Amino acid sequence: MALLSSGVLLKRDPRLLKLPPYLSFLCIAVGIAWLLLLPLNDYSRRTYISENALLPGQVHTYFAGSDQHVFRGFKHEVDALEGKSNTEVNDKLEEFFKAAGLKVARQKFEYKSAGEVYQGENIYAILHAPRGDATEAIVLVGAWKNVEEEFNRSGVALVLTLARYFKRWSLWSKDIIFLVTPDSRAGPQAWVDAYHDTQSSPAIQPLPLKSGALQGAVVIDYPFNHRFESLHIVYDGINGQLPNLDLFNTVVSIASGQMGIGVTLQRMWNHKDDYKERLQTMLRGMLKQGLGHASGPHSSFIPYHVDAITLQPYGEGWQDEMAMGRVIESTFRSLNNLLEHLHQSFFFYLLMHSGRFVSIGTYLPSAMLVAINFTIMAIYLWVKSGTPISKSTKVASTMGEKSTPLELVKEGDAIAILPEEITGVRERELFLPLAVVAGTQFLGVLPLYIFNHTTHSMLSIVFGIFTILNTVLPYFISKSIIEYFGPTTQQYQLIKSFSLLLLGMFLSSLATLNFSLAFLVGLFAAPLTYIQPLPGRPILVTVLSLLINVLAPTAVILAGVFAWELNLGEVLKEAAFGWDIWGMNTQVVVWCVWWPAWLVGNILLYGKARDESSATKAVK
Amino acid sequence: MSIDRRKAALFCTAAAVRLLLFTAFPGLPDLLTGRVEISTPVTSFKRLQEGLFLYNHNVSPYDGGVYHQAPLLLPLFSLLPNSLDYPIFTYIIYILVDLLSADALMKIADSGEARSSKLYTSPRKDKKWGSLEIAAAFLFNPFTIATCIGRPTSVFTSCAILHAVAKAVAGSSLTSIFALTFAAYLSMYPILLLPPLLLLCFDRRRSESSINFFLGCASAVGGSTYALLQMSYIITGSWEFLSSTYGVHLLLPDLTPNVGLWWYFFIEMFDSFRNFFLGVFWLHLSSYVGGLTIRLRRQPLFVVTILLGIFAIFKPYPSISDTSLFLAMLPLYQHVFPLMRYTFLTTSTVLYATLLGPAFYYLWVYAGSGNANFFYAITLVWSLGLSVLVGDILFAVLRDEWEVERPEMKGKEIRQI
Repeated sequence: MALLSSGVLLKRDPRLLKLPPYLSFLCIAVGIAWLLLLPLNDYSRRTYISENALLPGQVHTYFAGSDQHVFRGFKHEVDALEGKSNTEVNDKLEEFFKAAGLKVARQKFEYKSAGEVYQGENIYAILHAPRGDATEAIVLVGAWKNVEEEFNRSGVALVLTLARYFKRWSLWSKDIIFLVTPDSRAGPQAWVDAYHDTQSSPAIQPLPLKSGALQGAVVIDYPFNHRFESLHIVYDGINGQLPNLDLFNTVVSIASGQMGIGVTLQRMWNHKDDYKERLQTMLRGMLKQGLGHASGPHSSFIPYHVDAITLQPYGEGWQDEMAMGRVIESTFRSLNNLLEHLHQSFFFYLLMHSGRFVSIGTYLPSAMLVAINFTIMAIYLWVKSGTPISKSTKVASTMGEKSTPLELVKEGDAIAILPEEITGVRERELFLPLAVVAGTQFLGVLPLYIFNHTTHSMLSIVFGIFTILNTVLPYFISKSIIEYFGPTTQQYQLIKSFSLLLLGMFLSSLATLNFSLAFLVGLFAAPLTYIQPLPGRPILVTVLSLLINVLAPTAVILAGVFAWELNLGEVLKEAAFGWDIWGMNTQVVVWCVWWPAWLVGNILLYGKARDESSATKAVK
Repeated sequence: MSIDRRKAALFCTAAAVRLLLFTAFPGLPDLLTGRVEISTPVTSFKRLQEGLFLYNHNVSPYDGGVYHQAPLLLPLFSLLPNSLDYPIFTYIIYILVDLLSADALMKIADSGEARSSKLYTSPRKDKKWGSLEIAAAFLFNPFTIATCIGRPTSVFTSCAILHAVAKAVAGSSLTSIFALTFAAYLSMYPILLLPPLLLLCFDRRRSESSINFFLGCASAVGGSTYALLQMSYIITGSWEFLSSTYGVHLLLPDLTPNVGLWWYFFIEMFDSFRNFFLGVFWLHLSSYVGGLTIRLRRQPLFVVTILLGIFAIFKPYPSISDTSLFLAMLPLYQHVFPLMRYTFLTTSTVLYATLLGPAFYYLWVYAGSGNANFFYAITLVWSLGLSVLVGDILFAVLRDEWEVERPEMKGKEIRQI
């Protein structure tokens, strides 16, 4: 460590000084290869239940028979409410919950984001546990409209039926909360915030009725009338947080083991469990985690350490609503068994099949390797910037000779071996590099502020202007730096060193919070490791600047919008919504971590080092 | 005159940056006040508010066991308007304290004591930063700014220590000793700085004999301590504050996480060993004083600097405020920086720990997906980074001294065998 860190070893041997760029490339390559290996049987594991108290599928479910008639009745009522206003709907729902003998409360909320207003009223009912002391609760959520804005007709009817059904049982030891929100994006967030008394503005009412600590939440998203084939589980939370794997496993084991319903994830409707499909599932999961937006009403619960998932029936098959109800019943019986908060199983995992996963210990190295590549280059550039200029010629001439002679020095008890060579370190001029890197980091606040405070209608235009500025600005910044400061080669090296050091640090910290985002940003930023000023080679600079501009944050966002055939304005609106309401951090990473590093890389590319020999002469 | 103008510009910019952060981000002060890296049980601004509330309602501020800070802070803060209604006055006080610290630091830098003391002159004394650069490095250090915004009372201690040193290098030993006693009164550990500080004063004494000098100093320490404690007694009406303030430093009853090494160790420990290890930890902390003072007799200011670094790592309730004080003194030794060997390693380690610390704390406390070991591991890395820095600067200064004795070794590399 001592030798490497001081750069003594590096400085002593010119071959070692050539090594770091290859080493950092190797890091990236290994990082990517590592990720591709994960779906193999040798690297992933089968899922298993860690928490013994859950006992999934060990109880007989009784939700059948006459409850089907109740369900049809509620279904009829809910269908009749389609298109009615939020208040009318809630008046009717309140009647139903009260008829089942539950305490009912409502909560109004209003959010503002990107110049638009999101408002509505949540309604919820609490079933007090006959055998509990109201210190713990489980939530069953049915949003009136699901994330695709479809009317969740069977889902809400099922919530009503289950509320009536659960009330009949005396075995609950945790309170059960039935929550119906008017939408899937703002409503659940307002409710969870208010449940924990952290609502940001007075426009979100506090909850008049509360129960104990939330232990888990299950969301039903069942927007059609017919029977279904399989169950699709959505589990991604905001900012890439995930629910405890035990909750997921419980539902999978109940649905497929007890009820014989197939389970899929990440919209992989026909999963054949081969390498390709597993990889695809994992990558889809990573992309969703990296974007960090809410994928369903359950997402809002996860930041509060409430494990939550959404269950979506899909396809045409022979499973009916009662089967869905039994899955929920059995899941709730399992959650009811919990003695403490779900903590046994994994919180960091990548799922590649309903029965296969990799845990953090196995996948984290890949993102860390990508992040470490930046740190290696930063250290290398630091050492290189301190190497005396005249040294290179001297080293070249002495390369053939044997190693430098050592001198033994004895004084009293102390003995030291000294090489007979002067270990000079060139003085580093730190001010300009620090100022450039700090300045670009600070500039990142600008797009972050602009894109989160522009109204919806202007977002696309502002983004267009920003993209154009983004392509020309680095050139002019670079030219003006050359014009006013005339940086030396050493200063360029230091600028790059600091920028890469920061990027590496940010990404490795981020990898512990949101692995996927760190990995994706790391990959897109990887070419920045190899960008350096190339004066006198205009063709190469043009080619590289094209490459760099293709990998710019703005270009990547545009490419993503085209690839998934989305609307740019809607994507930006969603991002602003996430920032204002969900507390999503993806933009911070894009504009304050990735973009500054990209900007510095681009500035470097157009850079031109001052001729130092003539400068020193001028000083003399 | 031009220096003064530049100094005024620097101070105005520093004050403006702080004021901007205070006012432009209204949530920031409270956010930082709640961070364990900034506020410890013995310096927290929130706890000060609690003590202040009790004091203003004629209840002993130490009732309830929340407030562990010195009693004299209470009348000072109760003179200010309520910090919830008129926070601007509190902000101004904290900004002024930072500027006062920077002013003291500039006086220390201007004295040139770091490069040539009475008994030792560094061969590299021509290489130096101006006092303005040193003050700027202190005022624009992100740790200093974060501390200022987080408003822990440790800034008063830092300011008192810097003034004690500044007065000592200016030769006014009585003022210096009074400033140090005040620092010690606020947070106890600065009393360990007394030996090097006395030597610093001793090197500048005018004519009196050394016995007279030390007798005078001892009576000054005793007198000012007595005065401060007696005033505290009059304010609070009982001696209860002794056990609630210094007792907390000594016995560590509050194990709130912080960036130091004590809390986790004492959480894990069986109670029967607690007293023994309290003794060991305190002995360890104070054992550096004697050794370093003797070994570096010729550079007492450096002893102060390095002790501040050691305290920032090993004291019972450290925070980044202590680190920022150490980092403020460090640039005084800019002339030996080229002799340091691990600058980049320490910088990156400290920066990594700065970023990973809050991330792991979040995983532990908020997300619930991590546990206490996550945060403790990162405080170990943080302490490792600082220890390497302390060891490295010590090496550099010793080497600098050594090169005076052995000029032929200048520029040669040292290897341990």
